[in-house]
Amino acid sequence: MRLTLKIWRQAGPTVAGRLVEYIEDHVSPDMSFLEMLDVVNEGLIKKGEDAIAFDSDCREGICGMCSLVVNGVPHGPDRGTTVCQLHMRRFKDGDTITIEPWRAAAFPVVKDLVVDRGAFDRIIAAGGYVSFNCGGAPDGNAIPIPKDIADVAMDSAACIGCGACVAACKNASAHLFMSAKISQLALLPQGQPERYRRVTAMVAQADAEGFGSCSNEGECEAVCPKEIPISNIARMTREYVKAALTASK
Amino acid sequence: MASRSGVFSSSVGTKIVIGITGFALFLYLLIHIAGNLMVFFGPAFFNRYAYVLESNPLLPLVELGLLAVFLIHVYKTLRMFLSNQDARPKAYAVKRPAGNPSRKTFASSTMIVSGLWLLVFIVIHVKAFRYGTEYEWPAGGRDLYRQEMENLSNPLMVAFYILSMTVVGSHLFHGIASAVQSLGLNHPKWTPRVLLAGKIVAALIAVGFMIIAAWVYMNQPGTGRVHV
Repeated sequence: MRLTLKIWRQAGPTVAGRLVEYIEDHVSPDMSFLEMLDVVNEGLIKKGEDAIAFDSDCREGICGMCSLVVNGVPHGPDRGTTVCQLHMRRFKDGDTITIEPWRAAAFPVVKDLVVDRGAFDRIIAAGGYVSFNCGGAPDGNAIPIPKDIADVAMDSAACIGCGACVAACKNASAHLFMSAKISQLALLPQGQPERYRRVTAMVAQADAEGFGSCSNEGECEAVCPKEIPISNIARMTREYVKAALTASK
Repeated sequence: MASRSGVFSSSVGTKIVIGITGFALFLYLLIHIAGNLMVFFGPAFFNRYAYVLESNPLLPLVELGLLAVFLIHVYKTLRMFLSNQDARPKAYAVKRPAGNPSRKTFASSTMIVSGLWLLVFIVIHVKAFRYGTEYEWPAGGRDLYRQEMENLSNPLMVAFYILSMTVVGSHLFHGIASAVQSLGLNHPKWTPRVLLAGKIVAALIAVGFMIIAAWVYMNQPGTGRVHV
């Protein structure tokens, strides 16, 4: 396959970037999207040019590191897929592909296609945890949890924190990410002691990081590689209201 | 822990305020169109209805409340729109809608445009009807029927009204369902129905107001226009 690639190149956080065009002649339809970029980089390195920086780790769709906007859609055209699991057979010979980093004030570009997602870590540090010591592993059936509740909590916990929801949202809102983390803990007994402190602190941190608000368009849900639904955002709103009504200080 | 005063200025609190005020304005529109439909029953019926409504001593209070709800909705959405712009200072070179199950539509992408249009429309509309030329109606109150006939006698004005009702429909097309989600209501069985019902009601309100404006224009007294 022969492809025309328009790739965002930016030498560092403070310098201006631009889309640079590359022609790649030897793309196999069996390559993953990231393998295709590896091939482009090999060519650049051979020519003595700077390789394109992009994030990746597990390359099997579970770590949440890869973060590319492919032709205007975070993680590319496939539903429920990270970009590392996107394969070149999804494209046609002669296609032009535009590749950009996540764009959000809270996700500053580090280099080329790599962004700093430390803002997500700080949101988690603000409350997305259970802080008491539970001792040894409890007996599996010691705390009964209804199957339907456990299922919803597990689906929320599938969030890999990749940030595609922010990248897709016209407001660069982190509401889907936050709501997934808040839901998984609010639904389970272990999350109860810090339940309301958590939602208030996480929302405050996300706002401080400069993420936008939510317009209920649901673009986040459509690009989420774990297909986390926006019903979590509605749950986060309910949690937030309960927290505001019951706050003791 | 955020202070209680900070609750409504957070990104989640802002959604709640916009959702509540938006939904209240939608409920008002339902009452508004129900009242307007009475114009089809002729001047006596329409003016009688208006008189009953206007002679209610609580009306000024309700009007103030409506104004407050409207101003809060406008203020909070404008503030939110501006801070959302700051959240993505650098736009994408290429950005495409992600498709199903996204609810993104032309209407949802243009809420700020339709909202600002309606802000201008409402100023013109309230000036013409609430503070326009008044005529007395012998049986009591003002002759609102005549006022409406005169306000909608100019074809340009009628065209502006019909266009603005398309904008109302567009705003509500996303707005009704969006308000429901903003208030934290989401149910596997009911939410899809609410989404659909919101779109249908939005279209009905827009078309209903358009029919009223067109009917008034076509039934001008003393112009020789045929009653339809």
